[in-house]
Amino acid sequence: MRFADGGYYIEEYVKCANCGVLIYDGGIPVAPGSQDVVCSDWCREWKSQRAAGSDHPVLPLPRS
Amino acid sequence: MNAAARQTDMVTLNVIDSTMVAICREMGIVLMKTSYSTIFNEGLDFTCAIADPDGEMLAVADYCPAQIGGMPVVIKASVKELAVEDMQPGDVIVHNDPYRGGLHTPEHTFFQPIFVDGELMGYAVAIGHVSETGGSVPGGFASEATEIFHEGLRVPPVKIKRAGKDVDDVWKLLLANVRTPRQNYGDYRALISSVDLGQARIADLITKYGKATFRQACRDLLDYSEDRMRAELSAFPDGKYSFDDFMEDDGIVDQRFHIRVDCFVQDDEIIVDFSRSDKQAHGAINATLGVTWSASFNAILHLTDPAIPKNSGCFRPIKVLAPGGTMVNVDYPAPEVGGNTETHPRIAYTVIGALAQAVPDRAPATDAGTHCNFLFGGNDPRSGEYYVCYDFLSAGWGGRPFADGNNAVNCINGNCRMIPTEVFEVRYPWLVEEFALVPDSGGAGKYRGGLGVTKRFVCRDAPITVSHMGDRHKTAPWGLHGGREARTAELRIMRAGTKEWLSAVEDAGKISPSKFAGLTVQPGDRISLTTGGGGGWGAPSERDAGSIDEDLREGWVTADAVRGDYGRAGAEGDD
Ligand SMILES: [Zn+2]
Repeated sequence: MRFADGGYYIEEYVKCANCGVLIYDGGIPVAPGSQDVVCSDWCREWKSQRAAGSDHPVLPLPRS
Repeated sequence: MNAAARQTDMVTLNVIDSTMVAICREMGIVLMKTSYSTIFNEGLDFTCAIADPDGEMLAVADYCPAQIGGMPVVIKASVKELAVEDMQPGDVIVHNDPYRGGLHTPEHTFFQPIFVDGELMGYAVAIGHVSETGGSVPGGFASEATEIFHEGLRVPPVKIKRAGKDVDDVWKLLLANVRTPRQNYGDYRALISSVDLGQARIADLITKYGKATFRQACRDLLDYSEDRMRAELSAFPDGKYSFDDFMEDDGIVDQRFHIRVDCFVQDDEIIVDFSRSDKQAHGAINATLGVTWSASFNAILHLTDPAIPKNSGCFRPIKVLAPGGTMVNVDYPAPEVGGNTETHPRIAYTVIGALAQAVPDRAPATDAGTHCNFLFGGNDPRSGEYYVCYDFLSAGWGGRPFADGNNAVNCINGNCRMIPTEVFEVRYPWLVEEFALVPDSGGAGKYRGGLGVTKRFVCRDAPITVSHMGDRHKTAPWGLHGGREARTAELRIMRAGTKEWLSAVEDAGKISPSKFAGLTVQPGDRISLTTGGGGGWGAPSERDAGSIDEDLREGWVTADAVRGDYGRAGAEGDD
């Protein structure tokens, strides 16, 4: 999320390119140099496997 | 985590969990008893919860499910934006912004930090559907909106109370932008009373057990719910399960908007992927991410053990993928007010439809899939005051693998009550002429779908501006495993001095019969609202004769329908 100076309004709504959550801290580029960002390594890996043609990735969620 | 790793004994864990849930229920009773609007004090369209300092939900009362799964999204977004170090005892934050984690414009979240000995321990949260938000029509549901700005005032997270004192400027700004400032004032005070009480009760609980014990119990409680949910999901066979359903129009263009889900079950986790869904709609049927989370969790909670404590822990094994710009995660500044009421049930039953392939013995057929949201307002000649009401109707639920669907229950995301007729007539200038179950509206099946209701009322003495947000007026609720479709919903208008019941398309040239805004009703005009039934479960040929006889005796099915659906005589001796 990109806020105006002083936080008075939002200049850009930034969402994870995979799961859609709002990203407040800059995020992780989908690929080096990409403008699209994701919220986590898990989302980057899932998106990358789907983009590579995997119809059914099996990727355990990160455990807290 | 396994049970051995938990540090809190089960007795203490249960006592702390049950006490927090009881506090949430008490918060709701305060809200019900002190609010001004019928949507709160009769409809119970609210949820009360406790969150930890990170916004994770620790406990919630069993009020409106639409708000449960989305609650952590709202609080987390607010906590990211507000400076936590600026929080102080007695602060109350208000927030409704759908683009900052909110569910839809009318859903106002009030929350208050809980401090013990100067340390932030969590938040008391009340989310309520405020019946008037400003915007283009009375009642918030601007069903012909094409921008968020048509739906009313958007409130980012701001303090409405600071250190226990009203922030007068915020109050004045909020109340200058709605048609019913007195009613909104009362409802905001009720929401504040609710979080005030929650804050005080939780602080007492923490003081009783000590901060360290309470913190550890909360960590263990989330882990416990996660373990219980993982145990449930591990019974779902691994695989990819897909389903597709749609909203029949968006009030702006007469086309279908699809929600497509792929549920990937992997061991004890589920990835709920909506990325094949349609782009966001032009009209107000889009869902925010909070709605899609809530609907997905709601669906899975309906397929798993209902005794799992409801908190953020039970959502950990579930990951929802809903890219921005789609029907299921609307991008600014598109409208979205119908997403939380009408699209939520469609999303939830799309997930249930997919997972019914994995666990057929747990999944019901769809409910009627619409709340028939009916909004109206005008000047009441009796008081001279502007009034606004958000009314909705209950509907039929789908047949289940073990029983018929329930009659006349608010759809899957509501759990709300209908306004009693006596209250409806005293508070608003309508006269109710009929309020009844609709025979034959439930889908036939081994287990029949529940019945919808019909409500007919006449405008008494002054013009009223009405709007409606619904769906499934054109496409029937589906059955499962051979169960039949149910009847659709309907809204009809009969103008004074005429004998014809017309749809909003026929009466006013609206694009949609179920999504329109700002229609003027004059004294003597009549409205007839009918909700759909639930889909049937299993083949009608498998329904036992005794249940058919009982349906006939109760008047829930007609003899004609019994002949057509079940292929047998409609009454004893009738052949
Ligand atoms: Zn993500």
